[in-house]
Amino acid sequence: MNNATLLKIEDLVTRFHTEYGVVRAVDGSSMHLDEGETLGLVGESGSGKSVTAFSVMGLIENPGRIESGRIYFKGEDLLARSDAAMRRIRGKEIAIVFQDSLSSLNPTMTVGDQIGRVLRYHTSLSAREIRGRVIELLEQVGISEPQKRAGNYPHEFSGGMRQRALIAMAISANPSLLILDEPTTALDVTIEAQIFELIEMLKRQTSMGIILITHDLSVVANACDRVAIMYSGRIVESGSVKEIFRSPLHPYTRGLMHSIPRIDTPREEKLYSIPGEVPDLITLPEGCNFQPRCAYAKEKCTQTDPSLEEIETDHHAACIFAREIRDGES
Amino acid sequence: MNRDNGKAAVQERERHRGVILEFWRNFRSNALSLTGGIIVAIFVVMALLAPLLSPADPVKQFKVSSGMHNPLPPLTSSAEGHFFLLGSDKYGRDILSRALFGTRAMLRLAVGAVALSLFIGMIMGAVAGYNRGSWLDEVIMRIVDIMLSFPALVLAIALLGALGIGETKIAGVTVSNTFKIMIVIVIAYAPRFARVMRSVTLQEVSEDYVAAARVMGASDTRIIVKEIIINTIPPVIVQGTLMMAETVLISASLSFLGLGLQPPAPSLGVMLNEARDYLFQGSWWYAVVPGVFISLAILGFNFLGDGLRDSLDPRQARRVKI
Amino acid sequence: MGTYILKRVLLAIPTLFFASILVFLLVHIAPGDPVRVMLGPVQDPALVEKLQQKLGLDLPLHQQYLIWAGNVIKGDLGISTSVQRGAPVGELISQRYGVTLELALFALLIALLIAVPTGILSALRQNKPSDHISRVFALVGISIPNFFVGILLILLFGVVLLKSWGSGGFVPFSEGVGSNLQRMFLPAIALGTSYSAVVMRMMRSSMLDVMGKDYVRTARAMGVKKSSVVRRDIVRNALIPVVTVIGNSIGYLLGGSVVTEMVFRLPGIGSLVMNAVFRRDFPVIQAVVLIIVAVRIVVNLVVDLLYAKLDPRIQYTSTE
Repeated sequence: MNNATLLKIEDLVTRFHTEYGVVRAVDGSSMHLDEGETLGLVGESGSGKSVTAFSVMGLIENPGRIESGRIYFKGEDLLARSDAAMRRIRGKEIAIVFQDSLSSLNPTMTVGDQIGRVLRYHTSLSAREIRGRVIELLEQVGISEPQKRAGNYPHEFSGGMRQRALIAMAISANPSLLILDEPTTALDVTIEAQIFELIEMLKRQTSMGIILITHDLSVVANACDRVAIMYSGRIVESGSVKEIFRSPLHPYTRGLMHSIPRIDTPREEKLYSIPGEVPDLITLPEGCNFQPRCAYAKEKCTQTDPSLEEIETDHHAACIFAREIRDGES
Repeated sequence: MNRDNGKAAVQERERHRGVILEFWRNFRSNALSLTGGIIVAIFVVMALLAPLLSPADPVKQFKVSSGMHNPLPPLTSSAEGHFFLLGSDKYGRDILSRALFGTRAMLRLAVGAVALSLFIGMIMGAVAGYNRGSWLDEVIMRIVDIMLSFPALVLAIALLGALGIGETKIAGVTVSNTFKIMIVIVIAYAPRFARVMRSVTLQEVSEDYVAAARVMGASDTRIIVKEIIINTIPPVIVQGTLMMAETVLISASLSFLGLGLQPPAPSLGVMLNEARDYLFQGSWWYAVVPGVFISLAILGFNFLGDGLRDSLDPRQARRVKI
Repeated sequence: MGTYILKRVLLAIPTLFFASILVFLLVHIAPGDPVRVMLGPVQDPALVEKLQQKLGLDLPLHQQYLIWAGNVIKGDLGISTSVQRGAPVGELISQRYGVTLELALFALLIALLIAVPTGILSALRQNKPSDHISRVFALVGISIPNFFVGILLILLFGVVLLKSWGSGGFVPFSEGVGSNLQRMFLPAIALGTSYSAVVMRMMRSSMLDVMGKDYVRTARAMGVKKSSVVRRDIVRNALIPVVTVIGNSIGYLLGGSVVTEMVFRLPGIGSLVMNAVFRRDFPVIQAVVLIIVAVRIVVNLVVDLLYAKLDPRIQYTSTE
């Protein structure tokens, strides 16, 4: 693992000004990623994970706006870049792979052409070289018969293959940062395992930094070095995977861990789920966002809005009772 | 998401109630539907109050002063001093009065035709959609397909050509001309509406609340009537409004062609046809007045329908930029 | 692909069949005895009997249909009873279909030239003033009946028209392109501009639909240039449903040409059928309607096949 910081997000605030009110999708979140590292970004639907990724890529559109904060990529603040400059980075330096649906690929263009187009924009290879590279890439991501497949249309691919193709498209220009937005949510478990094998292989072959967005903690446990937990627009806990799984400090993280069904739980015991509901991002609760659902909540929690503090080395949590929770834990 | 489905079903139902409220809220702030609504309201008032608002009897022929001849331009008078606000037609009849009564006849026809088409089309479409894939669905949709292979105007012309112009006998029963035209329009448009209704029904049927109702033991008819039809009322309103526009258009076309309301009954389409012979003389008002009346009426319904459709689907109003 | 084509063709045939039944029945829903209806004012009993025999009106209904259908397939579309007494309907139609065809195609061309670019631009500049203006224009455009547009054009350009009409009859395309176009220009504009409003809205709506799709987002996320995204991802995919709709609009164009031919006194099939309607010439009415319906069904079929070519997904999914 390298020490060079690849990505550093500081107090990012992204909001959507809709006719129903202002949606505080990302409400001041900070995290960082080093070269060669894999960071898991965990949270439920609507927690702001995808919006964070889109903000990094500069893909936030009306009525959304990045209101404040800084996004440092290789030392440079991306938010200070022009649109045209961002387009040059997109796909080339930072690439994103969306959750597969048949709709993520243009149905009237062959897969080979779509990947080739990306290469055309980001490299200066000749048409013939591009064709060759496309076939190489398809092979690299584990698609059999790459020559034939390059001439196929997306609907002729299976779900798992499409995901591989999207990954191929993303890595085609050798990006330094790869973001995977719920790459396997739509796939079944066996295919999921294959995709993660692919990701592991890519990690070994390149020194790409990877952000893995998911709601599935088991994925995080298997594939990530560090993890950041998001809740209603904020990072509430972050640190190394080992540390967080060993000793989760934020009540939300603890709740998440607790909800994972285990094989050794007695049969009669009901499955645990965190009580209450995710807050509406337009009207957030007073004080701490998680407080209405928190088992440890006290009076103070409705008054202060906790910020992400370093509780232990490289283990941050946004809870005023983090230390008590840690100490109280046996 | 892993919510339990019962809760989701109830929430969806609440969402539908909320849609109607939101719909009203959007409508009010939508310039398009407001303008359309105002225009339509004006026309409805004109149609209802035509007898009161008309300066003259629409079939009365006024005499002209010597040296002048019909059609007279706007803002002139007849020999006896009747003031033609919008001019006279070739027989000396007051154009404004004829336009007002023509509007009345046109709207009456349109409302009747649309109401009947909606009724028939809704039933056909809802039944077909609800029983998707069954033989009932196939039969209904085949009928619709066959009817749709006839262009609406051509079908109307053919039917009217066969039935004859003016009052006719259908199956031994004498029907008025207006009613006959109404039936013809219904035959042309009910299938079109059935198709729309079917796809709307298909959407609704797949919603969770239908499954919930079924699970709770509601009978099929009850589900169709209560849940589906009620929840499809907003799109029906939109389609109905747009259909009013089309009906006015087609009835004006038929009148223009001479197949609709017959003279001397006031009809905007007929006026437009009569005006053709006077275009080169420069009697522009003879054509422009009925033409504008027809166009504005259609415009009003189109604005209203479009605006309503936007209110219904606010997603459309704010889309992703590329 | 083969099954798709086959299925479509197999669907079209019964549709045509049933539609022809409806057309056939047209003469029988008319009040009164069909023969007397067809003969009109002439009441010569010998003629009545002869016609009855020829049409097999003493035979049961379905046999009559078979006779009629058989004739049609052989190319015998009947004899005109009043438009041009005694003339084979087929001849009347062949003399006039060229005009209607030219009018419809010309109008379609004008409509597409106006509507496609406006629709695309309108969607791309969504919610900007130019979008709102063109949307309102389009709404106004679909609201003004095409015959009124025609009449307005006559009012505005009457002098020009007088000249071309004055120069005597209609000149077919093959004989004099210049004077033919002169004659067809205004009618085509009247029909075309009305229709362009319809197409423009469709184009815009299809564009907006596609613009929200995930693959547009993917392309942007990969850093593809905007012009390429517009061309290859958006427009290319947005055109597909519009093509089908245009194909279906042949119905509107045929109906519209009836009216337009009446306004501009063009000797096409539209004015033929109107003439026939006023004179109760049933053979002509039936033949023309049948042909219009057949053309429509065939065009729909062709469009469906075209759609299959344009959208690679179709080969694998079945209908709907």
